[in-house]
Amino acid sequence: MNTPILKSRAFALVATGLLAVWAHGASAAQPAPATPQQASSPPAPHAPQTETKAWTPSTLRQTLSSLPKGDAALGQKVHDQLFCASCHGAKGVAPTQNWPHLAGQKAAYTAKMLLDYQSGLRREGQRAALMHDIAVMMTPQQIADVSAFYALQAAPQDDGTPRPTPQKAPKDFEAAQLARKGDPARLLTPCASCHGVAGQGGNREASALAGQNPLYFVRTLLDYQSGLRANDSAKGMRIFAKKLTRTEIEALATYYADLPAGKAVNAR
Amino acid sequence: MNALNLSRRQWLASSAGLLAAASLPAWAQTPAKVGPAHIVIIGGGVGGATAAKYLKLFDPTLKVTVIEKNRIYIRPYGSSEVLNQHSSMDDLNVSYDALRSNYGVNFVFDTVTGFDPIARTVQTAGKQKISYDRLIVSPGIQLMYSAYAGYSEQVANTAVPSGWIPGAQTALLARQLQGMRQGGTFVLAAPPNPYRCPPGPYERPALMTEWFMKHNPTAKVIIVDPKDSFVTDETMMLGWNRLYNFNLPDDYVKKMRDKVEIKQHAGTSMISWVRGKDGGRTLRIDAKKMTIETEAEVIKADVINVIPPMKAGQLAMTLGLADASGWCPVNRRTFASTLQPNVHVIGDACIADAMPKSGFSANSQAKVLAYTLIEELAGRPAPEPLWENTCYALAGKDYGLFVADVFKVIDGKIGRVNTRARYLALDAMPAQIKLGARYQQAWLRTFTQDCFA
Amino acid sequence: MTQNLYKNLNVAARNTLLALFAGGLALLSYAANESASNKPLVLTGIAKVAPDKGAISGELMAHSCAGCHGTLGRLGDESFVPLAGMPVGQFVSSMVAFRDGKRPATLMGHVAQGFSDAEIRAMGEFFAAVKTEGNQP
Repeated sequence: MNTPILKSRAFALVATGLLAVWAHGASAAQPAPATPQQASSPPAPHAPQTETKAWTPSTLRQTLSSLPKGDAALGQKVHDQLFCASCHGAKGVAPTQNWPHLAGQKAAYTAKMLLDYQSGLRREGQRAALMHDIAVMMTPQQIADVSAFYALQAAPQDDGTPRPTPQKAPKDFEAAQLARKGDPARLLTPCASCHGVAGQGGNREASALAGQNPLYFVRTLLDYQSGLRANDSAKGMRIFAKKLTRTEIEALATYYADLPAGKAVNAR
Repeated sequence: MNALNLSRRQWLASSAGLLAAASLPAWAQTPAKVGPAHIVIIGGGVGGATAAKYLKLFDPTLKVTVIEKNRIYIRPYGSSEVLNQHSSMDDLNVSYDALRSNYGVNFVFDTVTGFDPIARTVQTAGKQKISYDRLIVSPGIQLMYSAYAGYSEQVANTAVPSGWIPGAQTALLARQLQGMRQGGTFVLAAPPNPYRCPPGPYERPALMTEWFMKHNPTAKVIIVDPKDSFVTDETMMLGWNRLYNFNLPDDYVKKMRDKVEIKQHAGTSMISWVRGKDGGRTLRIDAKKMTIETEAEVIKADVINVIPPMKAGQLAMTLGLADASGWCPVNRRTFASTLQPNVHVIGDACIADAMPKSGFSANSQAKVLAYTLIEELAGRPAPEPLWENTCYALAGKDYGLFVADVFKVIDGKIGRVNTRARYLALDAMPAQIKLGARYQQAWLRTFTQDCFA
Repeated sequence: MTQNLYKNLNVAARNTLLALFAGGLALLSYAANESASNKPLVLTGIAKVAPDKGAISGELMAHSCAGCHGTLGRLGDESFVPLAGMPVGQFVSSMVAFRDGKRPATLMGHVAQGFSDAEIRAMGEFFAAVKTEGNQP
């Protein structure tokens, strides 16, 4: 059929205009490519190659009890000299969601983390590699001192980090349930049994969780789940994390982030 | 005149009026130019690649073609780390695949032989004629080997490498340095201003000094320099003072000692810096005798690395984009060439006032240009620009320093906004310095991703 | 030929054509108005940050951060902080703390000194609107 109207300039203008508006709208809504190719890029720094022995409950207890007594005032100096505030904040409350809060953390746990970074037992990525490079600059006294310093800082309250908003899957347990009761079917003990009823930390140097940065919490549990983080005594956290769903992890992150941090008591 | 034709003309007249009032982009008013614009970019280095990626990021409907002679990019930033065995030559290779698959950038692997800036076409050695709506040229640098008597590209490829454009010369230099006899002498001839990568000619001998102290403890490292100062000189040499027993020149000690303790070392350091005022300017290279003659003396060396004077890449000359200085003058806001119409020049090759010639500057200029072109194509005015150059450099593997600047157009030229400080503080703490070295490594990765992926 | 075709269309059809054409023009002029120079600039479609006259677009400035902080502020496993999705308040207070020397840094203090309060806010608003796919949690 002869359709000169379709060939007319006016129609071309309109059609092109409509196409342009649509194309602009469509391109504006395009999501980022699903799995972007990486450019071949410089190699990541070597992870420490040492065959670092995993902790057993007794070696852990021995090491921690042999650390010198920590002095929080000297710990403040360590915190200044080693530039900790640039990531972890002036008082141990991290300024952005990329790094964990250290304020109010159990001293024994902080010390263990520094030893694990130092030895390379904890090396789940580039951020851990950076911590290794800082930790190797520290003496045992400095580790004890800075851990004592952070333990005395006011634990974080409402750090402004956006909470994950997971879509609860039908089989998911509520975060409060997992924290207090666990799930016998999955052999999941309650988080509180190690981390304390108020998330204040407790058993076997288990860390305080109350008020922790939720994005760091999610990252940590995923790293345990994948085995990328492997400094947990007797693989306890790795086994535990494998039984949780992603959405349960995110719900727990929000649960602990919102726990009143004031209830946490962490001098030791 | 039939009724319909009149009506259609009236329609067209009224719609044209409406269109004019609504300031539609040019393509809507000239039906011959329908469809997305074609931007051609000559040069697939940091500047060209970043421009291609960001143009497609801003408007995926654009057609973007990069014309580049090499199928793989060898990155110059961080290339000195091949010399001290921290990286391999393979680590320097960057593929163009990610730009193609992530952003749909077209690649034409060919050499440009000429262009017609009025007809807006580019000619290639492979007999292609490529039309464009906008052209970006990012041709990098060329090394003026013949500035020194006895030096040439042939000599550089075989006996006295430069490696300032990385590739086989880098590999040659690495073999020479790593195989240098015990107690041998390594001379590096630093270039006159302007040159690309201001701390580079000092980072390289510093890393080699660190390496020699482990593997060749009686070696000597001599930097001969036509200049009396360089960007990051205070912080770089403070690092040498702490790591390599280097004594800073008196004038530096005088201006720095109020801010930081400077050790006075007994004995001589492995590394020395012969400045222009002390006769450090290079005159002649004798590749057979392996000597380098400066104004002050003739130095016999085991390894000689020459960074000669440089100018804009040859393509800039071919296309008539460079002036008598050997660099390309551009409009400060749009980076449009002031010598040829409808073409923009970015990266090392262009004259950008206070911006140093660096990869980071090229990346920054490319992004602002991409933004500007989108605005221009949409019929909007050029945006007010802002650029950055934040570059880490190493005095040793664990000793990081930097220069950090933010730039705007100030009084018609590109000038620094952060006037308070641009370098690592002299009283920086050890942890800060070590962090800087780690961030330098991280930056090599993230920067490559931002340009090429 | 064309005039015969047009004549052969009934009134309803003509009116429909006219309406379509007018609608098309309306769309075109809407698009043009959206892109007139006094409207906010949106390149990546992420955040409408309208700069004051003479001010610099928040998006344009934000792209200068990408060399370290990732394209659009999206970063995987790296020691630099991802900026995509960062709450505006955190971005602003971080940059101000850097600028004032209250937060220790290697070079961020120097970089932050290059920006005014309004410029920091404009960049923060851009990054806050970027979706975080591609960030590691």
